[in-house]
Amino acid sequence: MGDGEPIARTPVPQHHRRSTTNSLFDSDLALAPGMLSATPMKLALLPLVSAVVLFAQSGSSQSLLPATESSTTEPASDLNVNSKYIVESIHFIGHSYQLSRAAMDEMHRLIGARLSTEALTKLTTRLRGELRAHSVTFKLDRGAQPGTVTVLLAVDKRFDLSIPRFAYNSSEGWTGIGEGRVTLGSNVFTFDVLSDRDTEVEQFAGIQAKYERFATDRIRAGFEFDLYHEMYDPATRLALANQSSSSLGAGTYRSRMNFEPSATFVLAKPLTLTVGLSFEELQPEFSAARLESANVVVNTLRYHQRWEDSDANIQELDAGYGLRAATKMLSADFGYTRHSVNASYHYTHDHQIVEIGLALGLIYGNAPLFERFVLGNSYMLRGWNRYELDPLGGNRLAYGTVTYGYHIMRVFYDTGSVWDQGRSPELRQSAGVGVSSGFGRLQRGAFLLAVAFPLRQSHVDPVLIAGMNF
Amino acid sequence: MISFALAAMTVSSDDLFVRRSLNDLHVVAPRLHFLTPKTLQHLHDGAIAPFDFQLTISAGSKNNVIARAVERFVVSYDLWQEKFSVVRMRDYRKWGMNASSSAAEAWCVDNVVIQMSQLASQLAGQQLWARLEIRSVDQKNQPAPVSDSGISIISLVELFSRPPRPQQDRWTLETTAFHLDDLKP
Repeated sequence: MGDGEPIARTPVPQHHRRSTTNSLFDSDLALAPGMLSATPMKLALLPLVSAVVLFAQSGSSQSLLPATESSTTEPASDLNVNSKYIVESIHFIGHSYQLSRAAMDEMHRLIGARLSTEALTKLTTRLRGELRAHSVTFKLDRGAQPGTVTVLLAVDKRFDLSIPRFAYNSSEGWTGIGEGRVTLGSNVFTFDVLSDRDTEVEQFAGIQAKYERFATDRIRAGFEFDLYHEMYDPATRLALANQSSSSLGAGTYRSRMNFEPSATFVLAKPLTLTVGLSFEELQPEFSAARLESANVVVNTLRYHQRWEDSDANIQELDAGYGLRAATKMLSADFGYTRHSVNASYHYTHDHQIVEIGLALGLIYGNAPLFERFVLGNSYMLRGWNRYELDPLGGNRLAYGTVTYGYHIMRVFYDTGSVWDQGRSPELRQSAGVGVSSGFGRLQRGAFLLAVAFPLRQSHVDPVLIAGMNF
Repeated sequence: MISFALAAMTVSSDDLFVRRSLNDLHVVAPRLHFLTPKTLQHLHDGAIAPFDFQLTISAGSKNNVIARAVERFVVSYDLWQEKFSVVRMRDYRKWGMNASSSAAEAWCVDNVVIQMSQLASQLAGQQLWARLEIRSVDQKNQPAPVSDSGISIISLVELFSRPPRPQQDRWTLETTAFHLDDLKP
């Protein structure tokens, strides 16, 4: 069969669709409707779906097979002899991609219909533009049922420039990443230029260079090099001067350099494990001080599953556990273990969505600033200023969020606390309202424009948040 | 039986043979394999492979073309029946299913036909040459000479008047000189 194996092959009863996702290759969508009939499908598909696996019912396939003939003068219905077969599924080979709703709809229209080379060519032309690929080609393979075919899409993205993420927070400023990507066969080279004022205690700007190789559908090897210049908020410097946190493993550093080889394995289709090493070197702000090493073992376990039923209810669960452990074996100057757990559940019904998120964090030992947990940024405990909460971050984290959306409107409630071991956590809350939507051809993730309010008894100080994919 | 008939009705070179049916002139190229391994791989992946054929007859000298036939054939591979399908684009009504790639190739060559009526009777006694030219169709860069009413012969002739693109595969075969009198139906 083809290079990329569909998630499910067995026919399922009509009016029941099932889909699964794979966190290694983003998310997959699988549908198994009864589609030989011309009944229009009512699908509320999220545009973030990447690899698409759609299935058609495959009944009465025998009637599709013509009698074998050596030569005839009967009219040929299509130039491609396979046009007499029903398209059972469509999916990408190897990788997965986020598609617009229009592209998804076009793919759905092809499923369950007889193969049309012209329609497939139109689809690949659309995908080529949408994915900004060098080329998108298709191959055919036998379907699971006689008389059906599977369409395999091969995307050649040799070179790609994008802004995969940006955010603006009126209390912190801009955060953004510009990315260049070169794909040569199964080798992917990525180069990022970034400025981040949002995700960590420190503000940092620099470059990320990454090489990934898809050894098989189930194994991906990678190597990453990062080089950042660090900046600190005055509140952080003041807190450091006061030594307000005894669990801090290092003071301020001028720059940070990271070498990180890793390998990702698909354990089961929705479950992946990443193992690697991170050799991080910190250049202290005072040039006389020696370099410090924060070398750690990295392990990340991720689970990503997506379900869809006939009533256009979509559920998506993403969960992960990360472990970063600094050991003497790696000549680390710090001794610490960092555990992080996050989970999010996403439910969509027609135009309504509910999102629930949870994050927990725990650090044992003395970790440097960049490892410490923060709240009060553009995506966690929105509306609060993270330097007001804790300018040095904390080694304990608990956070939860609920979002309700209708069409593009969003309202959310965040709550959580970040604190240091030995101190009592203080629960903070915030709420916000905004709009979220895609960006057409740039629709790689949700765009959010929101106003968030910290919920406290004193003054109300709203924060404007705008961004994409954060 | 077929080989005996060929031997009886053709004037042969190593690569291209001419044979005559009742009203038509055909060629046979048993060693020709224009379905290359790369093309075969594409076909097995469900793609189509179009080829343009031009058969010319020259009289007196090789440059004096007196009759011409041009055809486009589209080959595809049936994934379930594991057979090759060939459609002749000129009329869409002529197509064949062939168990092997060689049979599909032979089917194409056999369906490039020059009617005997194109060859004037006064050519009897003159030296004739048949030349078969085949080009793969660059589907990306070359507009298809096909409309709703079928393929345009003029467009195909124009295509053959241009030099092939570098990415196009090309085959050219010629017979040795022959006489119409030597071809018996």
